[in-house]
Amino acid sequence: MTATETATASGRRLEWQVAEVSEIVIETPHVKSLFLHVTGWQGHLPGQHVDIRLTAEDGYQAQRSYSIASAPEDELLTLTVERVMGGEVSPYLVDELRAGDRFQLRGPVGGYFVWTVATRGPLYLIAGGSGIAPLMAMLRHRERRKAPVPTELLYSSRSLEDVIYPEELDAMAQHDRNLHIAYTLTRKQPEGWVGRRGRIDKAMLIEAPFPPPSKPNIFVCGPTPFVEHVSNLLVELGHDALAIKTERFGPTGA
Amino acid sequence: MAENISDLVLDGNAAAGCLHEIFASDITIAQIQCEACSSARPVGSLRLYAVSMGAVLRCPNCDSLLMRAVNTPHGRWLEMSGTRCLRF
Amino acid sequence: MNDKAPISRGFGSGRRAQTPKDRVPPGQYVTTDFPVLSAGPTPQIKVEDWTFALQRGGSLIGKWSWAEFEALPQTTIKTDIHCVTKWSKLDTVWRGVTFDDLLKAAGVGEPAAPYIMAHCDGGYTTNLPIADLIGAKGMIATRYDDLPILPVHGGPARLLVPHLYFWKSAKWVRRLRIMEHDERGFWERMGYHNYGDPWKEQRYDGD
Repeated sequence: MTATETATASGRRLEWQVAEVSEIVIETPHVKSLFLHVTGWQGHLPGQHVDIRLTAEDGYQAQRSYSIASAPEDELLTLTVERVMGGEVSPYLVDELRAGDRFQLRGPVGGYFVWTVATRGPLYLIAGGSGIAPLMAMLRHRERRKAPVPTELLYSSRSLEDVIYPEELDAMAQHDRNLHIAYTLTRKQPEGWVGRRGRIDKAMLIEAPFPPPSKPNIFVCGPTPFVEHVSNLLVELGHDALAIKTERFGPTGA
Repeated sequence: MAENISDLVLDGNAAAGCLHEIFASDITIAQIQCEACSSARPVGSLRLYAVSMGAVLRCPNCDSLLMRAVNTPHGRWLEMSGTRCLRF
Repeated sequence: MNDKAPISRGFGSGRRAQTPKDRVPPGQYVTTDFPVLSAGPTPQIKVEDWTFALQRGGSLIGKWSWAEFEALPQTTIKTDIHCVTKWSKLDTVWRGVTFDDLLKAAGVGEPAAPYIMAHCDGGYTTNLPIADLIGAKGMIATRYDDLPILPVHGGPARLLVPHLYFWKSAKWVRRLRIMEHDERGFWERMGYHNYGDPWKEQRYDGD
């Protein structure tokens, strides 16, 4: 697909483009997905991100990065944003933004934290909170291409209501014997919950059918403390540090 | 990604846009070798600090400073004295 | 500013409307948080191992252990701080040893050389004119809000020069070197302004 080739071309100037909000979907009480139309969008690879820039009426500007949650095959670009209390940009994107609003966007950038169906080997995705966003781009791409890649998603959330895309993930797993999803809820579990509880530990990681000799492509994304905790455990379990690709989101979502 | 609440360590991958302004290409997939400890890895896997001021990239093995990049309205700055080599 | 940039309807209006213009330099917004910005991992220094040095050129003119430093005259100030990344924090309370008292303790009268370089654990440096430290303009702070400064905020001790952008208030400071000639520190040699007056919006070299 030519869009994916263009996405990593060198010497391509990185220009600020204009994104227009086409639709906003409420995912959880703290998270919304923004569906964007970007004129002249050249495509992206699953896992890449964009830089966005907001300009206030007095000229003041703020810039942040967000992972692309949509697959390259999808028509609109999706960013899934979690409101960080006291933040400058995310409360605006989650609470103020409306369909029709516009802001600047630059990208896609980041060829390192990328997976496509052309990559060999099993896929092991580990998400903490809103860290699911770039991993969802990978899963959606995998689903659109109907690729039979053995895949495991281990998804840690504070509570059931904080799980993002639950129906879509369940639907993907139900119709795909090569995809298995495990959830762990760290703070609050509903009555009758039979899934995992508490922070990710070695026991949860070992449950995935990808021991080190199977050389899985491992992607870990979420708040910085989560990513460091999980990466350290994976290395202790014998996985090659260089096979673990991490995307730290910064401070913990408290 | 990182809000302006606490600028903890990120991955080099988060500096992709900033570095693209300097190098006119995505260098996060380039291999970089640390002058201090000789270890090599993709730029995207380095430890990234101070992202709201520029990009300060350190070796995950020894914390040595490999690269600093700043985009200002008056020009772009790049310093790589801690890097032995960069392979695209 | 890029005049193609679309205006984000309603962005920033709430927060920056609360900004008292006479108190906050141009381009800044007030925050009640205390953002952390570091150029490297947070050093974990035990005060038993901590020493502070004052140098003139290559010579040591004063050195203090933690106990000795704590025994020096202490000053408490309430001040506003301004980060080059655009946040300002008002009425912050700090306690420490003023640069004036440090010079007195070292037995130094008028320091003849005009510049200072601050050297810190982790390798960070920043430079400033000595004139911007004396006359109660600068201190080595050990307490924030009556408590020991947290390591992420520069503890056990950091430089505090609140009338300049906060990158000059070097975290984890261990040594102040008095210099004849100005040399640029960590950010100053990477495109940031050599002086950094927030009221003149001196963020970058060339501003």
